[in-house]
Amino acid sequence: MRGAVSSSVWPELKGLLLDVERPSRYLGGEFNSPDITPCGVAVALAYPDVYEIGASHLGLAILSEVVNSLDDASCERVYSPWTDMEALMRERGIPLFTLETHRPVAELDIFGISLPHELTYTNVLNLIDRAGIPIHSRDRASGPLVIAGGCGAANPEPLADFFDLFVLGEAEERIAELVELVGMAKEEGLSRDEVLARASRLRGVYRPSAYQVSYEEDATIDGVSPSDGAPATVCKNIVDIEEWSYPRRVIVPHCEAVHDRLNVELFRGCTRGCRFCQAGMVYRPVRERSPEEVARMVETLSRATGYEEVSLCSLSSADYSRISDVGAAVSDICSENKMQLSLPSLRMDSFSVELASRVSRGQRGGLTFAPEAGSERLRRVINKPLSETEMIDAVLAASRAGRKRMKLYFMIGLPTETDADVEEISELVFRLRQAVKAEGMGTPGFNVSVSTFVPKAQTPFQWAAQDTAETVRRKQDILKRTLRGKGLKLSWHDSSMSEVEGLIARGDRRVGAAIESAWRSGARFDSWSDHFDYGRWLAACAATGVDPDFYAYRRRETSETMPWDHVSYGVDRDFLVKEFERAVAGETTPDCRWDECTQCGVCDALDTEPVLRGERA
Amino acid sequence: MSNGDSLRLRVQLTKEGTARYLSHSEFQRNLMLAARRARLPLAYSEGHHPKMKISLSPPLPIGVTSEGELVDFALDSYVSGAEAEKRLGEVLPPGIAVVKARLLGAGSRPVGKLIDTAVYVAFLPPAAGGEGEWKNAVEQFLRSDTVEFERVQPRRTRTLDLRPGVHSLDASAGEGGGVAVRMALDDGTGGTVKPWEVLQVLAGMAPGAGESWREARVHRLGVYTRRGERLLSPMDAGPRRPAV
Repeated sequence: MRGAVSSSVWPELKGLLLDVERPSRYLGGEFNSPDITPCGVAVALAYPDVYEIGASHLGLAILSEVVNSLDDASCERVYSPWTDMEALMRERGIPLFTLETHRPVAELDIFGISLPHELTYTNVLNLIDRAGIPIHSRDRASGPLVIAGGCGAANPEPLADFFDLFVLGEAEERIAELVELVGMAKEEGLSRDEVLARASRLRGVYRPSAYQVSYEEDATIDGVSPSDGAPATVCKNIVDIEEWSYPRRVIVPHCEAVHDRLNVELFRGCTRGCRFCQAGMVYRPVRERSPEEVARMVETLSRATGYEEVSLCSLSSADYSRISDVGAAVSDICSENKMQLSLPSLRMDSFSVELASRVSRGQRGGLTFAPEAGSERLRRVINKPLSETEMIDAVLAASRAGRKRMKLYFMIGLPTETDADVEEISELVFRLRQAVKAEGMGTPGFNVSVSTFVPKAQTPFQWAAQDTAETVRRKQDILKRTLRGKGLKLSWHDSSMSEVEGLIARGDRRVGAAIESAWRSGARFDSWSDHFDYGRWLAACAATGVDPDFYAYRRRETSETMPWDHVSYGVDRDFLVKEFERAVAGETTPDCRWDECTQCGVCDALDTEPVLRGERA
Repeated sequence: MSNGDSLRLRVQLTKEGTARYLSHSEFQRNLMLAARRARLPLAYSEGHHPKMKISLSPPLPIGVTSEGELVDFALDSYVSGAEAEKRLGEVLPPGIAVVKARLLGAGSRPVGKLIDTAVYVAFLPPAAGGEGEWKNAVEQFLRSDTVEFERVQPRRTRTLDLRPGVHSLDASAGEGGGVAVRMALDDGTGGTVKPWEVLQVLAGMAPGAGESWREARVHRLGVYTRRGERLLSPMDAGPRRPAV
């Protein structure tokens, strides 16, 4: 049955499947997976982690379908082979392959890799290398164009040497143009250089090799100069999501994936303006899908997949202007189809809790709230000014709805944070618990998850210093000491992982050498705590002359040229500076959906405006 | 899978092609989602977290193909076997296909509890030795009162006697000059003998088997309930009960 593609590695691969954990990761052939006949322009899209993580990724699912709907083009999926399979593939000389036809990735025309977060970057290099493609863009004379997209493109610089192109922002339209360009290049025999030069003139396509970076004596950036007709600043793309109603043919993974449910997007973008949040800055403006279209997608896709749960996803689902209407409509579809409805990313207020209880009858999962900071002062700094009254109301509403256990997300290491702010996390949790007990509803359970803030590119905190690993550990100790009691469970992040994440998040092109060195010494799956090896990263930094302190722990002046300044997500740099100043002063900034325009600049830059489907719910 | 539901749909399926590498739980997941896509009138358990009521024949070893996998779905209203067969057949992933479907009363025992025997055929490559040699090994196996085998599992290794779990065993000419070994083995809650275990023992008794026997293609022909010497298929109509 795999005879259609002559170069398929299936004959060698199938002999290995009984010797690896979960052979289903490498099979393809899931229900709704596309039937690929090699033709025209062949695209492979990869997620740099194992199948059951990558299979839930909505962005890649959308782009694969877009390519497969084009004439004379096909798109296949690729995931990182788990360590056991990688070892066998190396031993037998089997190159990285696609799931659909099992042909070597190097035989295709475009190899796109999603960049979900910094700790996948060694896997990214491994994907390129396992495909048999030179890992440096400059060493590629032939073979597929190696392109990247996704969140990580907000600071493409640490990976600049490894990719031919980055696509900034939403790639639905751009990927089709790239496919067309590559198709034309094949027909007309254009050189690789010419293809890349033409691609770099497409909106939102960044060709790093067309930019030269010079450095000051103090190692900061002196300047970035474009060449070869590349624009001084590359600005991201957005699409009208009502016109791009994807996915239409959702692939049902063979095994339970991380988000094992149907995901339908309510809207893109979020203008709440939380100052730590990269997604909130880079996906602007808010564009809501119509409630009718959301309901239609839920109805058709639930029938087409058989999923038992649907999630209406976005960056903050209760903010959807007609959430009550859409919640009721989708809830009816769910009861008819014996499905559960879940609303992730809810705010911590009683409106959200009551909404969740109303639409998700007989919920299975617990509720998750993200106060982020323990003190009201610090919540103003990050522009998430939840009042304690709102939070108590939310917890009481959840308890009344029968929730015995809730999850609370906090961050430590936020700008201006003191030890007293950290202690307030514990005090807040105790006050929330006491509020429920006082109402005679017993002692609620709280799973308190405390992550470490890592400043990200394109946000108001991009100039801030990250807390050192030592400070982070001291603050974690405060919580471990104070946050004890019946029903309380505390979890925290490894401080050395946050250091590596911080090094890369605001790294420049020189950091690429450290990533390469860590990968060469065996780093893989760095976001899996049992695979992460801090010593390996320290050695890699030392060997390549990269100082983690310079990148992670240094406070930048707002006048400093940032490595990603020539890459624009439409938000004005001046707006970010102003927001940073307001943060330090403890001033909040409202949401432009129900207050005046905050002058972030995205609508002017992209010649667009927010799309809302009704008045504020 | 007992109270409340009025009917049961029993389906016989294949597990071939790439689907033969799905684990038992992945196979079950595929069937459950397919049954929902087929919009069968599925019965769910009561309570806060309703669960689909489903029962499967014993796990098929990963990599082994089959034409005899059985699954029972509890239904809460009527659908004809033919209609269910057609609807389910349209929504299964590649490698899994409906052989037939049959509607039963809810009183019958679910396949998970009914099956105690599985029949396999292993097609050996010609390099693994000739028919005569394998026939001798089979005879030797069947003559033995006990056949000791060391079963290695992730957490424990133990020695057990395979002989009582092997109900028939036979070697004959197979595909392309190779030998085919057919076997009926214990498979169910009472105990399981795996086809590869029997092959490994036989290969030890057939000097020419070398290592090539490991390349055998193993296929499950069906799963059954043993009644003395006879194997009854849960897909056939059950014995008529005397009227009370």
